[in-house]
This record gives sequence, C-alpha cells and structure tokens, in this order.
Amino acid sequence: MKNFRFAVLAGAIGIVSLTSAAAAEDITIGLATAQTGGLAYADQPSLAGFKMAVDEINAAGGLGGKYKIVLDIKDTRTDTAATVQAAQELVAAGVKVMITPCDADPSIAAGQISQPAQIPTLTFCGTTPTITEAVGDYMFGTYPADNGQAALLADYAAKKGYKNIYVLKSPDSAYTLRLPEYFEEVFKKKGGTILGEGTYTMGQQDFAAEVTKIKALSPQPDAIMTAAYEPDFPAFLQQLRGAGVTAAIIGSDGIDSPTITGLGAIANGIVHTTAGSPVAGSKLAAFYDKFKEKTGAAPETVYVATGYEIPYILDAAVTAAGSVDGPALRDALANLKDVEVLTGKVTYAGTNRMPIRDITIVEIQDGKRAPVVTAMPDPADVPKP
Amino acid sequence: MDIVLQQIVNAISLGGIYALLALGLAVIFSIISLINFAHGELMTVAGYGMFFAAAVSLPFPFAVCVAVLFAVIAALLTERLAFRPMRKADATGLLLTSFAVSAILRVIFQNGISARPKPVPLPSGFAGVIDLGVLHVGIVPLLSIVMTALSLASLTLFLNRTTLGKAMRAAAEDFQVLRLMGIKANRVIAVAFAVSGALAGIAAVLWIAQRGSVDPLMGFVPVLKAFVAAVIGGLGSLSGAVAGGFALGILEVLFQAFLPDAALPFRDAFVLGFVILILIWRPDGLIPAPVARRS
Repeated sequence: MKNFRFAVLAGAIGIVSLTSAAAAEDITIGLATAQTGGLAYADQPSLAGFKMAVDEINAAGGLGGKYKIVLDIKDTRTDTAATVQAAQELVAAGVKVMITPCDADPSIAAGQISQPAQIPTLTFCGTTPTITEAVGDYMFGTYPADNGQAALLADYAAKKGYKNIYVLKSPDSAYTLRLPEYFEEVFKKKGGTILGEGTYTMGQQDFAAEVTKIKALSPQPDAIMTAAYEPDFPAFLQQLRGAGVTAAIIGSDGIDSPTITGLGAIANGIVHTTAGSPVAGSKLAAFYDKFKEKTGAAPETVYVATGYEIPYILDAAVTAAGSVDGPALRDALANLKDVEVLTGKVTYAGTNRMPIRDITIVEIQDGKRAPVVTAMPDPADVPKP
Repeated sequence: MDIVLQQIVNAISLGGIYALLALGLAVIFSIISLINFAHGELMTVAGYGMFFAAAVSLPFPFAVCVAVLFAVIAALLTERLAFRPMRKADATGLLLTSFAVSAILRVIFQNGISARPKPVPLPSGFAGVIDLGVLHVGIVPLLSIVMTALSLASLTLFLNRTTLGKAMRAAAEDFQVLRLMGIKANRVIAVAFAVSGALAGIAAVLWIAQRGSVDPLMGFVPVLKAFVAAVIGGLGSLSGAVAGGFALGILEVLFQAFLPDAALPFRDAFVLGFVILILIWRPDGLIPAPVARRS
C-alpha cells in the first residue's frame, strides 16, 4: 500500500515536472560568480555584460531562436567553499549551463561539481590555461588564455628587437607567476635572453628593494616583462621610473584599466595585451556606446564586453546543436569555429577548450591606448599549459 | 655601499608608513582595548575622498586635506554608530564589531561606488627623483619620510602640550581614575578616534601615492601590517607602535634586498619568523605599554 502511494506521488511529481518543462522551452543558466569580495572587480562587470546580452537574445526569441534564458544568479563572495556550495545548489536546481568566476581556483572547484552532472560550464574570464584540463570535457574557457597572451607578447618583443629582458613575477597567483614564465619560454625560443627574475608579494606595493636591484643590473634590460596588476603594477612603475630606470615595460591584460593611463607621463610607452580595444568605428566601440546609453555609465573594463560575448557564444553552440542537452551542447561548443564576437573571432575547435581568439596589443601614449596589433597567437608559439 | 644606503632609505620610508598605521591602531587600543580592524577601511574612505576631490579638479594639497577630513569623519561615525553602543562589551565583542564594520564598509564601497579600482591622479612630479650624490631618493619615499616625521612631531606635541592630549595619555593609563577626575569619557574616546582617523588619512595619502588608485578592498594589507607592527612594538604603547612600524619596515626591506633569489618568494615567512623571535625575546613587545593589557 505504501509503495502504491509512493508510486502515485512519484508519478504525479513526474507529470507536474514534465508539463512545466514542456510548457515553455526555457533554459536555465546558473551563475556561481563573485559579486562581492576580491573577484568582484572582474565578476561584477562580466555579469553586467552577460545580462545585457541575455536580454537581447531573449527579445529575439532565445538561444538558438527558441530557448528563452532564465538566470539563476548566486554570489560566491570570492570564497571557494561558497562557490562549491553555489554550484551544488545550481546543479540540484537543474541548470543546463553554468558560469563560474573569473579565476582558476573557484572555477575548477565549481567545474568538478558540474562535470559529473554533464553541465557545460564556462568561466567568466579565468585565463589559466589549465582550468579546462583540470576539470574535464564540460569545462570551457572564454577569455584569452595566459599562454596565448604570453606568446603574442614574446613575439612582439622579439620583433621589436629586444635582446635582454628582466621578468618580474609573483608566486601568489597562477596568473602573476605562469604568464611571465610562458613569456620566458617563448622569448628564449625566439633567441632572447632573460637577464634576471624578480619576485614580489601581491598587495605589498613596496618595490623599493626590487627596483634598487634592477637599477644595479649591468647591462640594463631592454625591457621588463610582468603580469603584475593593480595595486602592484602602478606602485612598481612609479618606483622604477623614480629610480631612473628607463627600460620598456611589457605587461598583460591585468593592467587594462583607467588607473594605468591616469598615471600620466610615466605610463607612456607601456605595451600590454587586452581582450579588445575600442577603436573608433569598431564593433566594440559601438557596444561601449550602447552600454553607456542603457546604463548611463561607460564600461570601466573590457570584462563587460567579454561577459556580453558569452551568451552569444552559447547561442552559436545551441544553434549548432539544435538542443540544450548537456552532451550535445558540449560537442557543439567544442567544435565552434570563428564565431564573430565584439572583439574578434573565437574558436574552440582543435583546442583543449581554452579558446583561441584574437588578442590585441596596445601601447599607452599620453593617457590613451593605441592598438599595435590584433592577432591570434601562432599555435606553434603557444607553450603547453 | 650606496646600495646599502639606498635600501636604508627605502626601509625608513616604508617603516614610516607602517608606523603611522600602527599608531592609529595603538591610539584606540590604549584607551578602549579595541583593535580596530576597520582602520584599513578608514584609509579606503580617505582614498575615495582623494578620488572625489580629483573628480571636481581640486588641486592636490586640497585633495589631501579632503582625504584626511573624510577619514576623520568616518572614524567619528564608526565610533558613534558602531563602537559606542558596544562599549560595555568585552574585548572580543569589540573586535568582532570592528570586523563587522570593516565588512559592511567594503560591501558598501563595492556596490555603492564600484568594484573596480578608481584612479587617483597624482601630480606629475611624483615619479621624480632627487639626486643626493650617491643616493637617489624618489619624491614619494621622501614625502613619506617627511610626512611621517611631521605627523609624529605634531602628535607628540598634541599629547604632551594640550589638555585633551594629556587626558588621552591619562586615559591610556587608567580610564576609571580619569573619569573620576571629571573628564568626559565620550569626549576622550571621540578624540582618540579622530586622531586615529587623521593618522589613517595621512597614511592613505602616502599609500595611494604609490599605487595611483583606490579600490574597495585596499585597506586589508595595511591594517594587517599595522597589527603586526603594533604587536611587535607592544600593544597599546604609542612609542612602541612607532618602533614596531619601523622594525617591520626595516625587516621587510632587508629580507627583500638580501635574501637569495630562491628564498625570495618566502620573504614574508622570514619576516614573520623574525617577528616571532622578537616576541620570544620580548613577549610584551619592544616598548610595552605602561599598564599591561591583554585582550
């Protein structure tokens, strides 16, 4: 008797859930991202862009023209344990796609929850190329990976004729440690010499001792390469120039912020990578205008644009798959090729799910950034993660 | 030789900032046994003060005044709204209150202003360098040293020459007796917070002069350094805080400069290891407070 009741109940629940699933062809995307805490600087703008794209896609009929997107947004407070918990809740709620924070550690932790549930998972702007391999075949990057950025920068440095480069890195994060190491690998392969290596503690912002060492180098380096970002990078730069070191500076996308151009004359000549540069007349510039019109404030960072691109990447995948079924969507994503987005083209086919995409190198002059080159890094150059 | 001299200048300049920060903590701890972990957020408030001042294109010296003023106001507000209602609580309760104030302020900054760093433009001369023969002293380190010296001198004058200053020193020794003498507790405590806020504001200006931006989480590292410095110096002791600040700055620069490259990533472990040695040698700190206090 008990069993019978249970069966009826289970049947009833089944019918209810079937009808609700069939009533509307919705796709729930779960976002376990850091809207407060140390990663909010990246995840907040990414989410703002993401939401804007979702609204547009829904207005046009939904993903692949038929799946209306419903968002389930959870704040992870930049805490890895909270990220895992949010991921578990989202998986239990039956989301079809999951978005994880802009950093390797929480993304890998969340991915390990969504991977067994066969939920395609994308990191907002995690750049560490090992994210996808550490999780598995449902994990995708979206942002230019560290090794790609490094390869393009090393190529630039070699073409520029730099021979001796000093590298400054911090073991405190994969980004600040590995990106310069990828750079060293490629630059040495291209015939350059690494004159020396320095280390710093993130957030320390006192570089006097390090700068005094660089100043004492003989010969002086042609350039200094680092993946340091705020607040370390401006502090380093001020103290370096203050000590009278004139070597060129090669940086990464972490310094793509208004603070750097706000530093005045000492920022002149800095070269760094970015996901995209809003040159007048470009798609990205048009997007920035549209965003400003909608929200009243111009985007403070390119993360708004890269966040905006993700639903469109998903749209391309759903269109190709014709369904929002986990395995089908995974295969479709993994085979995407030359998807046109704001900042150029994105390709997953032939990668380990960290996309190959256009990266721009910009140079700062008089408070403005001018693009030097926009290119996909040569796959032969890109170091193994 | 000149590299050693250069590093000594570096150490004094960094130590000076730490001294100001530790002093800000010590001024309050000496009176109400509160380690104010929201001290870093006072610096952030000062930073936003500079940012807003720059946004309405106030000249830099005025921006500095605005920054210090913002920090003082924020310190007085946190005292009035958070710490005064909790004054009867024990040391742990006060400590937790300061964590709460700190967390609330950070979320307000992130969601009310921006999660992104805001640039604080500095006068173009700031990246310059002054040549003193063998020594090259950057403008910012020089400014740090001068401002630290001025702040310490004026604080000493204030504590020794004014009635309120004397009341604060008396409060640090025995608050109950001070109240019996008819001095208003609220007034002394409010002044302590104002002084602490001013110190945070000045330290913030020097800290931001190095980094060129203000962000919501900026206060975390400095308050941690300040806490370590205050402990080395002797919690609650004002001269101890200054000594502790300089000791920490000198240790950090020395280890950064002279550790072998392979050991450099572990610099902080060496520094903190040395701090432990200091505390084994002098458990109450370099210059202990006149009345032993423990939380």
